[in-house]
Amino acid sequence: MRRSTAPALLVGILALLVLVWTLAPVAWMVVSSFKPTPAIKTASPTWLFEPTLEHYRDLIGAGNDVRPFAKNSLLAAGLSTALAVGLGALGGYGLAHWHHKSKKHLAFWIISTRMAPIAAVILPLFILFRQLGLIDSIAGLTLAYLSFNLPFAIWLMSAFFADVPPSLEEAARVDGCSRWQAFWYVVLPTTTPGLVTTGVLCLVFSWNDYAFASSFSGPGSQTLPMAAGRLITQGGVDWGQLTALGTIIVLPMIFAGLAVRRWLVTGLTMGAVTGE
Amino acid sequence: MKRAIPSFEMRMMLPALLVLASLSLIPFVTLIVMSFSHVKLMGGIRFENAALENWHHLLEDADVRSSWGTSLLYFGLTLGIEMALGIVFALILHRVVRGRNLLLALAIVPMFMAPIVVGLLGRFLTDSTLGLYAWALRILGFEGDLLAGKTSALLTVIAMDVWEWTPLVALVTFAGLSAVPAPLVEAAAVDGAGYFQTLRYIVFPQIRRVLLVALLVRAMDAIRFFDIITITTNGGPADATKIIPVRLYETAFRFRELGYASVIGILMLAFSILMAHAFVRVLGEKGLTR
Repeated sequence: MRRSTAPALLVGILALLVLVWTLAPVAWMVVSSFKPTPAIKTASPTWLFEPTLEHYRDLIGAGNDVRPFAKNSLLAAGLSTALAVGLGALGGYGLAHWHHKSKKHLAFWIISTRMAPIAAVILPLFILFRQLGLIDSIAGLTLAYLSFNLPFAIWLMSAFFADVPPSLEEAARVDGCSRWQAFWYVVLPTTTPGLVTTGVLCLVFSWNDYAFASSFSGPGSQTLPMAAGRLITQGGVDWGQLTALGTIIVLPMIFAGLAVRRWLVTGLTMGAVTGE
Repeated sequence: MKRAIPSFEMRMMLPALLVLASLSLIPFVTLIVMSFSHVKLMGGIRFENAALENWHHLLEDADVRSSWGTSLLYFGLTLGIEMALGIVFALILHRVVRGRNLLLALAIVPMFMAPIVVGLLGRFLTDSTLGLYAWALRILGFEGDLLAGKTSALLTVIAMDVWEWTPLVALVTFAGLSAVPAPLVEAAAVDGAGYFQTLRYIVFPQIRRVLLVALLVRAMDAIRFFDIITITTNGGPADATKIIPVRLYETAFRFRELGYASVIGILMLAFSILMAHAFVRVLGEKGLTR
């Protein structure tokens, strides 16, 4: 949209306002995490201070050690992502190429499980997990995360597979590949961006989860968001540690998300907007 | 099935479908059974037949009705503001010539943040004794605790969700804007159309479907989540922010009425299935289900 009349200055100012609106809270959190406690607890904001790492040190210290929480987060989110990407790639390929009159219904059922409200899913899963002894286990959390990651992965991967030119697979078949070989050696490698995007988004979704973790985890399986929730107590909040922990939780996912930025629109709308 | 051996496509889908079925159909049936039972958790799980008691309870429960009201208000305001702001953001960013990619990358940072951290950060910023935003509001003449007043608490939790998810709408709209053919816009300019006329008659009709997809993606997530409210107000003050998922959670895990909570859950599920239906119908024209 090239427009000679564009008031560039106005656009610049508006763009700056958008950035302040989105970035100010994040920036304030990161800055506060380096402030000494007295500099945080002031009625009017402190702009100048001596930076300190004390809050980060407190998070590794004895009382509030977050390392076990981090380990649980990594395990549950990582396992769930790996399973979702693996099963989702197979399922997505199948869905993209399956031509049958009930395909519509199958696709709808898959997406409807993704859209199910978390609160309504937690109830029966809580009962089932209690029966199966999966409460307070990494396996339970992994499965819970899979309940929203898997349908997402199937749909998204199917959008990526639908974009692979059929001639590619046909050529491989002519050269003597079995269907599985054509999929594994030819089709799958061309969807590497799809695999990475699916993986990153599944990782972000499960890493950020609080609802499932707070319902199913116990002393042995609490995740980082749980650790953040625990820092809010009746006796008041240690904002220094909280901003530090918030920074630790948030930064890796921001970088992961930005790394797949090119495919984000496809990813977050599950392929709905591509080919527009 | 006409053939005895399932097709290659079916065999590829089978593992995923089996896992998904066990993660969704079994819980779904359990949820239905729970809704007709009194669920006892002490000393092993027991379901006692409650016939229609839970469902009957629903009819006379004014609290749940008011929670649905709050939910719809929350839903409408959140989606409305996110769509409007997101479109404005996209239009602004789209007009920026230099550094547009960097700008776009910075503008979408909030959506990767854990909602719980967004909620805690919101509490930090609006804390009446030390919050940055509370301080700014004091300068503008607003005293007091945002999360303590009924109206202001609802608006504050909405603002947090809006902050986190407006970038998604902006990003999708931006992609739509980039796909509008430039000659079309130039032709309108040649014909003497002003900026807003061009938007109204040329650009918006072109990106209508993209906007609808953005709206539906946000809608399905807005009914799913409740982390931000749980960590900020937990439904208070005086139920002002008690949207239906928060009510459900409280009914189940604080009052231990899991059977009745299931009834609330089934209604939520029905609502979200309607939403999913709309989503798939929009895509059906041209999209995944092609």
